[in-house]
Amino acid sequence: MDALYKIISIAIITCIACLIVKPVRTDFAIFISIVGGIIILFYTMSYLSNVFDIFNNIFKISGINSSLYAVIFKIIGIGYLTEFTASICNDTGNSSLGDKVLLGGKIIILVMALPIITSILEIVMELLPK
Amino acid sequence: MDVEIIFKIAGIGILTAVIGQILKNSGKDDISTLATLAGVVIVLFMVIGMISELFTTIKSMFNFASVLPFI
Repeated sequence: MDALYKIISIAIITCIACLIVKPVRTDFAIFISIVGGIIILFYTMSYLSNVFDIFNNIFKISGINSSLYAVIFKIIGIGYLTEFTASICNDTGNSSLGDKVLLGGKIIILVMALPIITSILEIVMELLPK
Repeated sequence: MDVEIIFKIAGIGILTAVIGQILKNSGKDDISTLATLAGVVIVLFMVIGMISELFTTIKSMFNFASVLPFI
């Protein structure tokens, strides 16, 4: 729980710093919000890494080939990054750019998910009675 | 890697604004634009350094290393 308090406190401090600097220097406010976002991301990533270790053990036990799970991790990473950039774009005011980043992320995720879909279809075809 | 980076950037921002104002009032307008520009460039380098650090951590964690043909 203390990590949550840390994240909340950093977010509040960044917002206040942004407000203080905004009238004086508007472009620095964007820098401060970006840096605050990065710091919070680093905290969440430290928690995400042990989730991934647990997932790795599960995949080893399940025995299904690990290339599919690498794609799943990559998709999570892509979602992570596109969400980060899209919110920065919305912060600076040009939300259309943020939507384009989201669209690009979705398309890349779709392209990466294709092998998973094909492998699922193969598994289903094997199950069907000939 | 904590709150002090936020305060550092805020401090640089306020400092550049103050220095710009002082230089502008004392008649040296071109130097004040240079000073504000220098402040922005310094903060930009700090932010870009943090973003590259973020990308390397994400790449190492989500094992992006196995580069797909087109990504």
